[in-house]
Amino acid sequence: MLRYIVRRVLESVPTLLLIVTLAFALLHTAPGGPFSADKPLLPEIRHNIEARYHLDEPLWRQYLRYMGDLAHGDLGPSFQYRNTSVNQIIATGFPVDVSVGLSAIALALLVGIPIGLNAAWRRNTLWDRVPMALAVAGISLPVFVIAPLLVLVFAVKLHWLPAGGWIAGSPSHLLLPVLALALPYIAYVARIVRGSALEVLSSGYIRTARAKGLSTARILLRHTLRPSLAPVVSFLGPTTAGVITISIVVETVFGLPGIGRFFVTGALNRDYTLVLGITILYGALIILFNLLADLCYAWIDPRVRLE
Amino acid sequence: MRGLAPAVTAVLAACGNHDPQAAQAGIAGPPITEPAITVSTALAGTQSLTRTLDDSPRSLDPQLSTDIPTQRVLDDLFEGLVTLSIDGKPIPGVAASWEHSPDSRTWVFHLRSEARWSNGAPVTAEDFLYSWRREVDPKTAAGYAQALAPMVNALDIALGRKPPDTLGVEANDAHTLTVHLVAPTPYLLDLLDQVYLYPVYRPAIERYGDDWVRPEHLVSNGAFTLHEEIIGNRITLSANPFYWDAAQVRLKSVVYYTMPDRAQSVLRYLAGDLQFTDSFAASQRPWLKKTLGEQVVNSPWLGTYMLAFNFNLPPFRDNVALRRALIVSVDRAALTQYLKYGMYEPADTLMPPLSGYQPQHPSWAALSQLERNDLARRLYREAGYSAEHPLRVNISTSVQGADERHYFEAVAGMWHAVLGAQVSMDESEYKVLAQNRELHLLPLFLDTWIGDFADPVNFLQLFYGGTSLNYGGYADARFDGLLDRAAQEPDNAARYRLLEQSEAVLNDDAAYIPLYYYATRHLIKPYVQGWRSNLLDRNLSRYMYILEHQGR
Repeated sequence: MLRYIVRRVLESVPTLLLIVTLAFALLHTAPGGPFSADKPLLPEIRHNIEARYHLDEPLWRQYLRYMGDLAHGDLGPSFQYRNTSVNQIIATGFPVDVSVGLSAIALALLVGIPIGLNAAWRRNTLWDRVPMALAVAGISLPVFVIAPLLVLVFAVKLHWLPAGGWIAGSPSHLLLPVLALALPYIAYVARIVRGSALEVLSSGYIRTARAKGLSTARILLRHTLRPSLAPVVSFLGPTTAGVITISIVVETVFGLPGIGRFFVTGALNRDYTLVLGITILYGALIILFNLLADLCYAWIDPRVRLE
Repeated sequence: MRGLAPAVTAVLAACGNHDPQAAQAGIAGPPITEPAITVSTALAGTQSLTRTLDDSPRSLDPQLSTDIPTQRVLDDLFEGLVTLSIDGKPIPGVAASWEHSPDSRTWVFHLRSEARWSNGAPVTAEDFLYSWRREVDPKTAAGYAQALAPMVNALDIALGRKPPDTLGVEANDAHTLTVHLVAPTPYLLDLLDQVYLYPVYRPAIERYGDDWVRPEHLVSNGAFTLHEEIIGNRITLSANPFYWDAAQVRLKSVVYYTMPDRAQSVLRYLAGDLQFTDSFAASQRPWLKKTLGEQVVNSPWLGTYMLAFNFNLPPFRDNVALRRALIVSVDRAALTQYLKYGMYEPADTLMPPLSGYQPQHPSWAALSQLERNDLARRLYREAGYSAEHPLRVNISTSVQGADERHYFEAVAGMWHAVLGAQVSMDESEYKVLAQNRELHLLPLFLDTWIGDFADPVNFLQLFYGGTSLNYGGYADARFDGLLDRAAQEPDNAARYRLLEQSEAVLNDDAAYIPLYYYATRHLIKPYVQGWRSNLLDRNLSRYMYILEHQGR
């Protein structure tokens, strides 16, 4: 197991290097530079600024310099937010994304799994049809519709919860963004669990369990749940990374200080180091969560052997 | 500053929503009946204000600042030799008084002995000397270094030709500062309240380097100090007990929230989280007016929205008739009324209305739109175009969302309807537009300007020959000559007459297409007092206070 993990981590290094190199090349080919902006600068003054960030050097040297700094864990200074390093921006924003993202995944699992199991057990009844119809709605409704609606109802109309903002550790500020982010995933998880549970419920050992007269709860929780979760786990690997990272809409609507927005503004402002830094982080996250998913998969399904 | 700074944030808002209209749809339905707010005349017990910024400030280092959100925060944190009155006019700040030589080239400022940094240290003439040298020092790499050009040697230092200590500024003693200028600069006081001329605290910079702007290190000399900064989210300021005029400052704290999404800013205002917002979408204005009434504050903002011609490329090079045909056939009044919901005033000049400056309306401004269209058709034919040989041109703009797109589609439609021109839209990312403009690649493009200070020269310089701001490559010896003469004119009234003449030259040359003048757009709770709409849209928190109230 340990050897497997070490091997996977080592394998991820060239992948990340490739991501960084591609992102570096793409960013530098995009038209417009970080300092072609608001007020055009005198050429000499622009040169001063570019020299400060080594943008006057040949591209290969900039690349080597960046990789050298990266090897020391230094993601460089942000061009857009002067006086601020990319490390500082990520250190401030990423914990927010992690807490919102992981809470949303937890909520999606806590609500989605029981709904899916229940729907499978009572297949073709109202207990199945109503939640599944809602799930389709949940998957179809984009978060940029759900999020402002939640704010409108719970903050503006009812004044129950804050309309946005962030106070670290405040559950009331966490609730609406987590809900907005989790709703579509509740729906996904419920549908996946229903599908796999239906398959499990039709298998021979469940019939045996029923024939033995086991209680519904025991059949569902002890014999159906674990094998039904395998597809959820494969779904969760890339999804968790996605939920943590691609919550820019949620970040914007709720005014959360995450890094998703910096990713977009960084790209628009040609803040090369900021975009590269976040790209590396996102790449590493996807690799990490895929690895975790594979490990969980082996734990859930004893037939899977990690080699 | 180029007015596109806010436009960039509009881009972000659009990205955040994918479709801003869809996001707004959620709140643009039936009016929400807001609980009425009742306000008494007594000061509230808690003097804390929540404001918004369109985007995250780029840096709280005054010398590095180039953007409007940073300006808002620095106006509260720092104070220059002069500061801004409640209505945005320059008034004594750290300098209690000043005088200048008869030729206006030498100015002596007398600093208040009671001015203090937030750690109690006195603010001295040395502090200003250090800060201004720092601004022009190439090592600082300040974006606005060239703005100090009126000071002796400033430009040479910025260009690396002279050392920073040759800057024409002297600290005669701790509280006297002399400034030597290359030309009489009647707008010097307006220049001195620019944030990049605010003083900075040298020991903090020398000790902490780039980190001196962190809340734990930042020493400021304004009405507030930096309490907390969460990048991309909020900045909290606390009243500065060492501020020389602290007795007059009523707010104990000010929180600035970064709100790139306008719809979100409105929602949080309605929810009562925000008390003084900086922006809302034009399309929301009618609904907001109906719902919030007097809380919706629009007032003239010193800025002009326009399209610019490239004077070095066909079809506009050497074709004044064509340029004028396009200028007069735009029905500005209809555009602002229907597509900007009456938020802006249609523009026919470069310089927005400013007291003391005679507006230079072009001759076509006196005609009705029907007469203008007739004139335009004549000019179009004169320019060599016809139904068989129509003008084909792109309007180059940046991606700013559906509202802006509709606006330019309507402009294109007007040119097509009146002249028969074939006009298409070419939207690109802001950075791409900026680069193509600087490289003079575009024949007809979006150009906007928001005045840094209330002086016509700040607008007219956009057309001065050979400068980097002159994207269209306009070059006219008469125009440049008038600006040169104005620069040497110590008498302000006489200088204004010269500037008026130079703007008239732009009209003769049909140099650009004026569209509308900017307007501020705030939502302000009725219990927030101590602000006045002003042309520069700079509202210092030091004047504001909260009245006792019920309801949000």
